[in-house]
Amino acid sequence: MEVTSVTIVSTNLNKKILDKYRDYHVIDNSFKLEELLKYSKIIFFNVFNDLEKEKIKDIYNYLDSNKISYINVTNNIEEALLTKYLIVYDKENILIEGPVIEVLKNDKLLKRIGLSLPFIVELSLLLKDYGLVNEIFLNKESLAGALWK
Amino acid sequence: MEISKILNENELLGVISNYDTSFKIEGYVKDLNVKNILQALKMVLLDDTYLDKKIEDLTLNEQFKIDLMLKINKDIIIVGNLSKVLNYKDIEYFKKLFLKLNNDYHKKIVIIDRDVKVFFNLVKDMVVLKDKKIVYETKDFFDNELYQYTKIPPIIEFIKYLNSKNIKINKTVDIYELIKDIYRSVS
Repeated sequence: MEVTSVTIVSTNLNKKILDKYRDYHVIDNSFKLEELLKYSKIIFFNVFNDLEKEKIKDIYNYLDSNKISYINVTNNIEEALLTKYLIVYDKENILIEGPVIEVLKNDKLLKRIGLSLPFIVELSLLLKDYGLVNEIFLNKESLAGALWK
Repeated sequence: MEISKILNENELLGVISNYDTSFKIEGYVKDLNVKNILQALKMVLLDDTYLDKKIEDLTLNEQFKIDLMLKINKDIIIVGNLSKVLNYKDIEYFKKLFLKLNNDYHKKIVIIDRDVKVFFNLVKDMVVLKDKKIVYETKDFFDNELYQYTKIPPIIEFIKYLNSKNIKINKTVDIYELIKDIYRSVS
């Protein structure tokens, strides 16, 4: 069975969103990694705000290796780059969903509802407009590699 | 708290801390003791439909706005966790509002957050607060020691990464200035 790995970004964090995912265990406060093993499906609700992305990646790797599905609900669009699938909520309604890069290409739509883009994606898009790169990059190493070949 | 000691010199102060700024008021919005409440709601991006709502039923984003509405007439305004509860557009709006309150009404404003990005183009001084004591002070967003206490914003991480590869890019927190510099560097 495939493990779910999803980020939900919302313009107005509201726990009503969680009603759709009743079979998931909600983590909305500090937690110990080992305690996650008790569950097969977990929703993180606005808990990674203070963490470096490397630490969030470590948590996801731990869940992946233990075949635990997870959804991360956040208002921080940077966290979207850490999963492959992204759902964007405008208040309590799904606005758009799909593979992360496809969703992030809708930059005008996202900005209209008050979201920004992840920094490296926004920089890629602006540099693409100036003809300095040809595609959207998801990490600093590949963007720098494309600019300074 | 030692913050009060340095407030005289720093009228817009960024505080990096886990200090609990959660909102604890309950009841209906219309029952709050606020002068010109409709105008006050508008200032914090809420409309008159909120008058009949219970504060405890509001989202974190909305509770932040109500909390700010209650503080807006004070001489010292202390707000926290913008990055945790507000979206990008709201953060940019409130940063402009804080600058206006500071410039035009000489209010002292303390912004407590774990995300340094919130302080860009807003504060000149930052302090790190641990167990209610100031453990570090800086004015420099590119100060390496600052990021021993909190996560590094992506634009600063990117510029530091380029500099580490001997690619000369100037320090900036403005994406358009960065693009100009990249253009000069690769052309």
